[in-house]
Amino acid sequence: MSYALIIAEVRRGVFEERNLDSAGIAALLGKEAVMLLPDGAYQTGNIADTIVKVKVGEEVFLNPLNLKNILEKVFTARGNPDVIIFTHSSFGMESAAYTAGAFGFPVVTDVSGYDKERGVFLKSYYSDKIFGEFKANGGPVVLSVRSGSFKEFAAEKTATRVEEIEGVAPVEGRTFVEYVEEEKADVDITKADFLLSVGRGIGNKDEIPAYEDLAGKLKAVLSGSRPVIDKMWLPKPRQVGTSGKTVKPKVYLAMGISGAFQHIAGMKDSECIIAVNKDTEAPIFQYAHFGIVADIHKVRDKLKEIMG
Amino acid sequence: MNILVFTKRVAATQEEELRIRDEGASVDLSKVPFKINDWDNYSIEEAVRIVEKTGGTVTAISIGDAESDEVLRRAIAMGAKDGFLVNSESVFHDPGVRSRLIQNFIQKENIPFDVIFTGVQSEDDQFGCVGGILGAVLGLPYSSMVIGIDAVEKDHMIIRRELEGGLQERIKITVPCVLSIQSGINEPRYVSIMGIRKASKVERKVFKAADYAAEAGPGIEVVQWAYPEKKGVATMLTGELDVVCGQLLGILKEKGVFQ
Repeated sequence: MSYALIIAEVRRGVFEERNLDSAGIAALLGKEAVMLLPDGAYQTGNIADTIVKVKVGEEVFLNPLNLKNILEKVFTARGNPDVIIFTHSSFGMESAAYTAGAFGFPVVTDVSGYDKERGVFLKSYYSDKIFGEFKANGGPVVLSVRSGSFKEFAAEKTATRVEEIEGVAPVEGRTFVEYVEEEKADVDITKADFLLSVGRGIGNKDEIPAYEDLAGKLKAVLSGSRPVIDKMWLPKPRQVGTSGKTVKPKVYLAMGISGAFQHIAGMKDSECIIAVNKDTEAPIFQYAHFGIVADIHKVRDKLKEIMG
Repeated sequence: MNILVFTKRVAATQEEELRIRDEGASVDLSKVPFKINDWDNYSIEEAVRIVEKTGGTVTAISIGDAESDEVLRRAIAMGAKDGFLVNSESVFHDPGVRSRLIQNFIQKENIPFDVIFTGVQSEDDQFGCVGGILGAVLGLPYSSMVIGIDAVEKDHMIIRRELEGGLQERIKITVPCVLSIQSGINEPRYVSIMGIRKASKVERKVFKAADYAAEAGPGIEVVQWAYPEKKGVATMLTGELDVVCGQLLGILKEKGVFQ
């Protein structure tokens, strides 16, 4: 039986919205959608033909070592699928790779497009400057799909069958201990109307005070992209992006941010996006309303000069 | 604790204009500078910090062309004891091929280890798969997105994984294991040119990738390379800096966020 197996991403009782992208690519591929879920009351909507509920808790399911054992049972019962679909997230990235390795299946991650006629998957290279068109030799192929890329293709199913399968004994090699919440922030960047956000392009830590000064003059709140947080130039609660905060200010002024998709996902719904970057090819210009190709330090100093 | 760390030399394309050539068959990297993969820099630092506390050694391994010796010297300058180059002139786009080559190399050469570190992903292909496939084929516990290592014991480690929205999960993982290290886990030490020069005096062993090639061919292939689809919605502000900055302030006023 030809089918697409969607490995649902859930976290603390929430069915993640990016599962819609998994359902979307299953629909594009024209496959029967079978969605695997752990035990629990999740708001899934009718996006799959069949839901297979595994009698294990969420933390057991989200562990790639346990998932391998769960998948063995599914494959024995239903035969191998044509495609196994994960979200491209912390969970999906980890489990897609482990699943591919465990079963010897081909894998393509961060898939953001599918060309039906040619049967090729589009995958980002060099931070979205180039895309590779990939073909799998045989299958089932394991995919992790980029959030926002396929949700428009997810179809409402008239009826979703629900089946249950027995769980697996959790492995001992890796076990969940607890969730750890983020440190408390001095300022909540999700509440700001105007964010001045800085990225790798600022060059070094010594430049931060001058951007703080600019933010002060503009009455904007200063935030940053991943490289700035990784280098500890700004505190973690000021990070915009999937592993940080999702923001929707009136104005998002991005300086020296090239626009990795994890960053874009955290700010693309801002009312007005203004990008300043010296690289004309920076992907952020594809999402901005206004763009300036220039040296960001010069723009910073000129703005300060004009404001006096 | 003996730690193997994989390190890759990658094209630094952040500010480069990339061109596709041969009708989509290849990407021209001839004028692009190369550097250590950012994630691997964090991995090496983390490994060195652990052995500084627990004893043992860090061995840096690179799969790549002869130029990749550069990232091994760098790793040695940071505190790795040995550097192994598994030399291959071809680029492996299939992470499955890469991981099985590593598996064969470790097993055939009988390289002892307690833990293997990889970066979460490499900057060029962004696959993020080598660690996960390697963990599975070696039959070892695996975790990716490792953003903190809280405890290192003989038989297990307590680590933190980065999830979304600032959330982390703490997990216990038994040793031996494979971990993929996330950027931002530490502040990598500064590596001076003098340090790298000194590291050059440590002999790096070279192996031939062909001796460890996987039996199975690639599971995936690149059909061709393509430029991103241009959405092109941005209005570009051009002209003298004064004018452009004036326009920018005008937009901020119009949007009501600046008086």
